[in-house]
Amino acid sequence: MTTIATPSSTSGPASTEPSVAQTWGLVARFANPADLVHAAHEVRKTGYRYWDCHSPFPVHGIDPAMGINRTILPVVVFAAGATGCTLGFLLQAFTNSFGSSIWALVWVTGYPFMISGKPLLSVPAFVPVMFEVTILFSALTAAFGMLAFNQLPELYHPLLKHPGFGRATDDGFFISIEARDPQFLRSKTGEFLKSLGASSVEVVES
Amino acid sequence: MSHSHDHADLTPSNTRADAAIARIAGRMLPAAVVLLAAAAWLAWKGGHANATAKLYLVSFTFILAISLGGLFFTMIQFLTRAGWSVAVRRPAEALAANLRWLWIPFMLPLLWLWWKGGQHHEPGAHALGLDVLWPWANLEHMQQHEPAEYENVLKKAGWLNPNFFVLRAAIYFAVWGVLATIFFKGSTAQDTVGGTATTERLQKLAGPGIILFGLTISFAAFDWMMSINPTWFSTMFGVYYFTVCCTAGFSAMALITIRLQSLGALKGIISREHLQDLGKYIFAFGVVFWAYIGFSQYMLIWYGNIPEETTWFLARQVGDWTPFSWILILGHFVAPFVFMISRWIKRWNVTLAVSAVWMLFMSAIDLYWLIVPVIPAGLADATTYAELAEKNKEASVGFFTLATLCTIGGMFCLFAWRTARTLSRNYLVPVRDPRLGESIAFQNI
Repeated sequence: MTTIATPSSTSGPASTEPSVAQTWGLVARFANPADLVHAAHEVRKTGYRYWDCHSPFPVHGIDPAMGINRTILPVVVFAAGATGCTLGFLLQAFTNSFGSSIWALVWVTGYPFMISGKPLLSVPAFVPVMFEVTILFSALTAAFGMLAFNQLPELYHPLLKHPGFGRATDDGFFISIEARDPQFLRSKTGEFLKSLGASSVEVVES
Repeated sequence: MSHSHDHADLTPSNTRADAAIARIAGRMLPAAVVLLAAAAWLAWKGGHANATAKLYLVSFTFILAISLGGLFFTMIQFLTRAGWSVAVRRPAEALAANLRWLWIPFMLPLLWLWWKGGQHHEPGAHALGLDVLWPWANLEHMQQHEPAEYENVLKKAGWLNPNFFVLRAAIYFAVWGVLATIFFKGSTAQDTVGGTATTERLQKLAGPGIILFGLTISFAAFDWMMSINPTWFSTMFGVYYFTVCCTAGFSAMALITIRLQSLGALKGIISREHLQDLGKYIFAFGVVFWAYIGFSQYMLIWYGNIPEETTWFLARQVGDWTPFSWILILGHFVAPFVFMISRWIKRWNVTLAVSAVWMLFMSAIDLYWLIVPVIPAGLADATTYAELAEKNKEASVGFFTLATLCTIGGMFCLFAWRTARTLSRNYLVPVRDPRLGESIAFQNI
C-alpha cells in the first residue's frame, strides 16, 4: 500500500506498474455523509462501474446518488410467501381431506379423518398452518435472499487489509474504486477522488 | 444529507388554509342537514323503531371510530416519542377533538330512552325504552318471550341494567372528552408558546391515557354493540372495535392530509415519506390486524362449535348476509392487501387516497355487519345448517337503501363539518413542536 503523494509519482495504467502485488483499487476517505453523497454522485456521473461506498450507518440519499435501483427482494419474498401459503394448503388438503396416494420417494397416502363433525376439507381450520408456512417461507427468503443479493458471506475482501478501513464501522466514510473498472487509471482516478474533497486517497493491493 | 427542513416554509401562508377549509365546512353543513332530515323522514315513514335505532348506532359508532382512531394515533406518537409523525399529527388531533361534542348525539337519545323506559306504564302497553336496541333493558318482556335467554341474562343484570349502563356511557365520554381536550389544547397552545414543556407533559400523560383508552373503548364496544345480543359474548369484541377505529381513523387522516396538500398547503413539510407511513398504518392495523383478530374470533367459535356462540355468526351467513360477509372478507382484507402491499401505492397521493376512501367505506360496512343482523328465530329446531339456511334465505341486508345511505352520509357530513371547522381555525401542523424539523427531514430507508 502506498500513499499517492503527487500527481506525477505514477503514470499510466495500474497494470503496467512494476509491482509484486496486484493493485485492487483505490480507497478515498471523506469527512462526513454529505461529502460522501456528493462524491458518490460525481463518481457515478463520471461513468465508473466497479466502485462502492462504505459508511458506519445507512446514509440518506446514497442509493440515488450511486444510481442503485431498488432491490427486487420484496417481489421475491412475496412470491415465496404465496408459494408457502399454497403449499401449506396442499399439505393439509392432501393429508386430511383426500385418501389419494402420491409418490414422494415412497408411496404416501392421505388419511381423511372426521374431527368434531367438520367437513374433511375445512378451510378455516387450515388457515393457521397456511399463515405460518407463509411466514416461514417469507422470512427465510427475506433473510437468505438478502445475503444472496449482497453476495454474502464473503470471507475475504482486499479492503479489509487496509489499516484505516476499520473506521468504516466507526466514523469513516469511504469510496472505493476497483482497478478492473475500464476507466480506472491510478493517477487520474486518484486525482479525481482528491478533487472531490477526499482527505486521503490510498492504494489497496489485492 | 438534505437540510431542506431548515428552509421549510412555516409561515401561515403554508401552514394555514383558514378560508379554503372554511369553504369546505360551509358545504358540509347544509349537506348534513339535508341528509339527516331525509333520514329522519324515512325513519318516521318506515316506522320500525329497532331498525332505525340500529342504523343510528351504526352511523354514530362510525364517526366515533374515526375520532377514536385520531385520539389513539395522537397518544401513541407521544407515548413512543415519535419524530416522523409530527408533521401529520394535527389532522389526528383535529379528528380526536370531535370527542368534545360527540357525547351530545349519543347521550341525549340514550337519556331520553332511559327516562321513557323507566316510566311506569300499563302492563302489555308498548313503550319506547332502552330495549329498542338492548333487550336486557326489559327483563319482563324477555321473561315472557325468551325464557331461556332470560335465565341467562338475569345473571348479568348486575352489569347490564339501565342505570349503570347510562352511567358507564357518561364515564366513557368523559374520559374521551378530557383526553381529546388535553392533547388538542396542549398541542395547539404550543403553536403559540413553543418550547418543550408541552411535549414533555403530553408524553407523560400518553401512558395513562392509552390505558384508559383501551379500557373505555373495549367496554363501550361490549356495552353498545355486543349487548345487542345479551347472551352472546366474545372477549375479542373490544379489540375488534379498536381495529375499526384504526381503519377509519387512519384512513380519514390520510385523506385529510392529501386534501390539505391539494389545497396548496404544507409544501415542503409533508412528503411522500409521510404518506407512505400513513399508508403503512392503514395496511398494518386496518387490513392485516383487522383480518388477524377477526379471523381468530371466527375460528375459535367455529371450531368450538357451541350453539350459544355460533348463533351470532349464523345470523351473518344466512340469506343475503352470506354475500355481505364475503364483501367484507374480500373488500376489507383480500383486495386491499394485494393493492396496498406495494411501496409506490402508499407513496402516490392518488392511489393512497383511493385506498383510504375504500377502507373508510369498508369500516361503515363492517359496523353495519357487526350491529344490524338479527339472530334467526327457531335455531333449536333446525338440525343442519342447510335446513337453517333454507328457512332464513329471505334474510335481507338492506345496506344499499336510501335510509342507510342518508343516515350514514348525513352523520359523516356532520362530522366532516365539525372537523373542517376545527382545522380552519388552527395551524395545519404543530409549527413549534420541537421534533418538527426531524419529522420534515424524515425518510424511509
